Amino acid sequence: MAGLAGCAFGGGGGGGDDTLTIAGTIPETGAFSSLGQDLRRGYELGQARMNEQLDRDVELILQDDESDAQTLRQNLQQMTSNNDVDMIWGSFSSLLVTAGSAFAENQNLPFLGIAFAYEAPHRNDNYEWTYAPFPKSRDVARSTLGTLELIPEGNRPNRVGIWEPNSGWGKEQADYWENRLGDAGYDIVLRETFEIGSQDFSTLISQSQSADVEVLLSNPTPGGGITAVNQMQSNNWSPKMLKFVRGADPSAWWSALSDAGAYALMCPGWVPGLTGNGNQRLRESYMSEYDTESQYMPVNVGGSYNLTQVALQAVQAAGSTEADAIQSALRSETFQTVIGEFGFEDNGLPAEGDLTAPTGQWWDGAQRLAYPNTGSQRALEFKYPIPSWSER
Amino acid sequence: MVAGELVSQSIVNGILLGGIYAVAALGLSLVFGIMDIVNLAHGHMLMVGAYVAILVFAATGITPLVGMFIAMGLLFVLGIVLQKVLLKHVVGEGIEQPIIVLFGLALILQNIGQLVLGGDARTADLGIPGDGINLGFAFLSLPRTVTFVVAVVLIGATWAFLQYTKTGQAIRATAQNRTAARYMGIDTDRIYIITLGIGTALAGAAGALLSMLFPINPFVGWSYLLKAFAVVVLGGVGSILGTLVGGVILGVSENLGALYLGGGYRNVVSLLIFLGVLLLKPEGLFGTGGGGE
Repeated sequence: MAGLAGCAFGGGGGGGDDTLTIAGTIPETGAFSSLGQDLRRGYELGQARMNEQLDRDVELILQDDESDAQTLRQNLQQMTSNNDVDMIWGSFSSLLVTAGSAFAENQNLPFLGIAFAYEAPHRNDNYEWTYAPFPKSRDVARSTLGTLELIPEGNRPNRVGIWEPNSGWGKEQADYWENRLGDAGYDIVLRETFEIGSQDFSTLISQSQSADVEVLLSNPTPGGGITAVNQMQSNNWSPKMLKFVRGADPSAWWSALSDAGAYALMCPGWVPGLTGNGNQRLRESYMSEYDTESQYMPVNVGGSYNLTQVALQAVQAAGSTEADAIQSALRSETFQTVIGEFGFEDNGLPAEGDLTAPTGQWWDGAQRLAYPNTGSQRALEFKYPIPSWSER
Repeated sequence: MVAGELVSQSIVNGILLGGIYAVAALGLSLVFGIMDIVNLAHGHMLMVGAYVAILVFAATGITPLVGMFIAMGLLFVLGIVLQKVLLKHVVGEGIEQPIIVLFGLALILQNIGQLVLGGDARTADLGIPGDGINLGFAFLSLPRTVTFVVAVVLIGATWAFLQYTKTGQAIRATAQNRTAARYMGIDTDRIYIITLGIGTALAGAAGALLSMLFPINPFVGWSYLLKAFAVVVLGGVGSILGTLVGGVILGVSENLGALYLGGGYRNVVSLLIFLGVLLLKPEGLFGTGGGGE
């Protein structure tokens, strides 16, 4: 990859005055390993673009955090000790991104993280250096409502069930769903908690069936989401609409479930079918770099590429690699990325209502844009309702 | 107010799951009752059995029920090798040494699993076409029903082996009094080898059955070890009937706990029962306090 000449892995090197040095971790092993390659590809495509656009070399140091917060901190410690790091890019999930963020806040280094919908840390932890170019819990709820409104009114479901993971983000997301959809007139007929890492969803399935849930919303882990759908099938129950935020993000969803995973919705930050702001170029770069015939790029390639666009534009606006200058640019600029046009609040939250919070849907082995409607040939017409298992 | 059909469904789901818990616990109970060893690697042996069934299913499409027998064979051999190579040096040397050896083995199995197979969870289908059975008051899902039946058959076969075969009788005699068994001409070293082989084979069987219901990753060993411990304590060490009853109680209590208190309390409820039994009836519901059946 010609544009990756400055890419080094595992430390070494060191940024000079003209070099922008970025440290990052990705989960190449461990619980989130199925997403590591996609994040790496998005970051590397973005780094190539940055090397073209900036008048300085861009060095990207990526290490495997093993999907473990402690390993992530050790990796960042090592990378920042051995290199003159100017910026840090995050990993995947609130667990890992907040760990990276805590390190960056302590080091006074600009930090960008995706796959991080949890809002509370932005508000409660006095973030100064952390910025999340990614749909947050409130945006996920907004996107869910928008997706429901694609269904003709006479056919629209009304009975909503929420499976809430017993975590801070689980509660926050469930609250947003309950309030947003409740205010819009939907009937929240079920809201039950489950333990993160739980493998037995049979009780929740029975409760959902008993409550006649039509729209099922949750934010499980990928493994939990796959298990839940398997158990829905063996219990012969399915909602009419299913949205598993983060759970249905990775390609492992389809490889594990195949057609049983069809119709599932997710909100991964970016989905094939979005247009403008570099989407066409991203697609062409991806196709040529990774020699793939696939029409549909993995969602996390787009999400992580979007992060690199923010980094590029922030450094351009700052005109320097100084942390304060980049921080100031992140706070004041409006960014145009493959997920839309947005700015940041001082606490690192994307400004409310600005960025696109796309909802994707699994169909025929690919994640495709269901909401909003962009007219792209890579988007699809929202598939509703999910047929019963016997009719699939 | 929880509807009656939800309660009956939760109880049925718990009973079906409890069968596998019982198989998982039976191997642990046998080894503990006969060899006085707490097999801390039992959960990881279960994980190995699950992966064997998953890999056989992935490679051939054959139902994991067939893979279960392969897993049992492999784990039986592993148990024999483990006893001959490692444990024979530490059995009878106090409780600490076997625990350290088996704890190390658990970590080794976990890391090998992660290195060879990665950290992603994997699962297998039942591989048998068919729908579940609607009883009216509850729905029996096919995978849970089949795995429960197989679990009960395995428990029954183990009981029959211990009850009616010469080797089984020798195992029971060794459990009751090792010295007396030796005087009676029983080769107790061989009995230990066979016992560990059976115990690990049962762990492999439980893993294969669980792989049809739940995802498996290299880290699941600890949680299933904890559940197996809870069942052994509930039922009583060395009691086969107690293990089956303990497994069912654990499965039902987990499901009812999730129903009434929320899914976040699923494991809390089962552990509270575990602690309650330890406080009120430490020998377990069917235990004699002396080990052995």
